[in-house]
This record gives sequence, structure tokens and C-alpha cells, in this order.
Amino acid sequence: MSNLDARGKSCPLPIVLTAKAMRQIPVGEELVVQADDRAFLPDIEAWCKKTGHSLVRSANRDGYFEAVVRRTA
Amino acid sequence: MDGNSLHEADGEARLRHVESELALLRAKLEQNGAFPSAQALALAPGGGQEDKLSLIVFSGSLDRLIAAFVLATGAAAMGMQVSMFFTFWGTAALRRDAEHLSKSWLERLFGWMLPKGSRRLPLSQMNMGGGGPLMIRYIMKQKGVASVEEMIKLAAELGVVMHVCSMSMDLLGMKEAEMLEYPGLSYCGVAKFLETAAPGKITLFV
Repeated sequence: MSNLDARGKSCPLPIVLTAKAMRQIPVGEELVVQADDRAFLPDIEAWCKKTGHSLVRSANRDGYFEAVVRRTA
Repeated sequence: MDGNSLHEADGEARLRHVESELALLRAKLEQNGAFPSAQALALAPGGGQEDKLSLIVFSGSLDRLIAAFVLATGAAAMGMQVSMFFTFWGTAALRRDAEHLSKSWLERLFGWMLPKGSRRLPLSQMNMGGGGPLMIRYIMKQKGVASVEEMIKLAAELGVVMHVCSMSMDLLGMKEAEMLEYPGLSYCGVAKFLETAAPGKITLFV
């Protein structure tokens, strides 16, 4: 499982970097993304909806957010 | 066969005739593109609009450029096709310090007055003689906001297409040799913009 730490980065970087990282992993693989931008959870949700990748789970950790996304195509 | 049923049979035949005529007319209209066929509609959800963002970047202010590039890179990350059209003051944002170029005295004067690229852009508000941009750049770094230069790099990686208005280039006396290096950067006119933007869902003027 790949990991992307986008903490300390502001909009649109967490989403842009997620999109870039997603191209690097094979279809069916999962990517874990950490971010502390307060827009991250609604944005990653919208990004998944738009791109068709699936949001496996997302959580509010201590001081940051974490989302697991799976590449679908 | 009595008169009534004869009348009915006649009516049915007429109805079939009218129906077949209508089908022919519909087929003809579809062929001429008068209205989209059911198949065309199914292929293009959302009323035949393409998932495309077109930005006209007219402004040469740092804050507006940041907004334009946040939108462009964000949309590209969402899988949308993105085209940016730079015109007027926006073209100056794409300049770089170039070696000596042959220009007329008026072009030279303009070149001297226009900002030399994205690093020299003023703010649309609170510019404070150039102090504002320095401050905003410092704060952006602190807060992890990508700089315009970083976003231009990301835009290139994500396949954002950049066009520059040739009329603005002429007007401001700018030469192709003094534009930043960007993959596929091209020069165009209003027709190219309209042709690109027309089928798109989102078009914004910055």
C-alpha cells in the first residue's frame, strides 16, 4: 500500500498530489493520504466522486485527516 | 365486411402511413443534425457538454494568477480537460528574463514597464509598492500554499494546455523568445478560444 503525506500543504496540493500519486499505482491498489488542510475531507470525497476512484475510508486523526483511496481505473 | 369495419381498416392503414412518414421525417432531421438522436444524447450526458474547464487569464496580478492556477491544477487533478488562454496583462505573467531582443523603442518601453514574469507580479490589492507580493509569498510558503511557479510546473505535468493571445503579444511588444518554456505552449486568436471553450462546461474570466 502506497502512502502520501500531504501534511503542511494547502489546497489544491493534497488533491493534485493525490491525482499524481494515483497514476503511479496499479489498478486495484490503495493509496493512503494524510493531510491537515481543513478542506481535505470534503475535497477528497468530491475528487473520488468525480474521478470514479473509490474512497475506502477516511478518518479524523489527531490533528490531521487520513483517507484511503483505491484506484479503480 | 360491413361498412364500419371497412372504415376502421382504412383508418388503421392511414395511421400506419402517417407513422411511417413521421419516422422518415425524424430520420431526415436527425441526419441533418436538427435535433440530437437518442444515441447522441446517451453518449453525451449533461446535455452534450464536455468535461472541460476553459480559463481566460486577463489579469497580470499575482493574487488572480494564484486563483487561476489553483482552479486549473485542481480541475486537471479531477480529470477534466483544462485550457488556459492568456491575454493582455496575463501574457506578462508568462515572461522570463530573456537575452537582448530586437525591439522598437515603444516595444522596449512596454517591456520595461511590464513585469518580467510571474516572480515580479504585483498584487491587485495591498500591493504597497511591491511589499505586498513579498509578504504574500512569504505567508504562502509558511502555509504550504504552492507558488505560481510550482503550480505552472504541476499544470504541465497534469496536461493543462496553455494558449497565448497573439494580439496581446503584438500589442505589448512581446516576443516568443521571452516567454517561459511550457510544453505545447501555443499562440492563438479568439477563434481558437471559442472553438475550445464552446463545448465545455465551465468557462471563467480571471
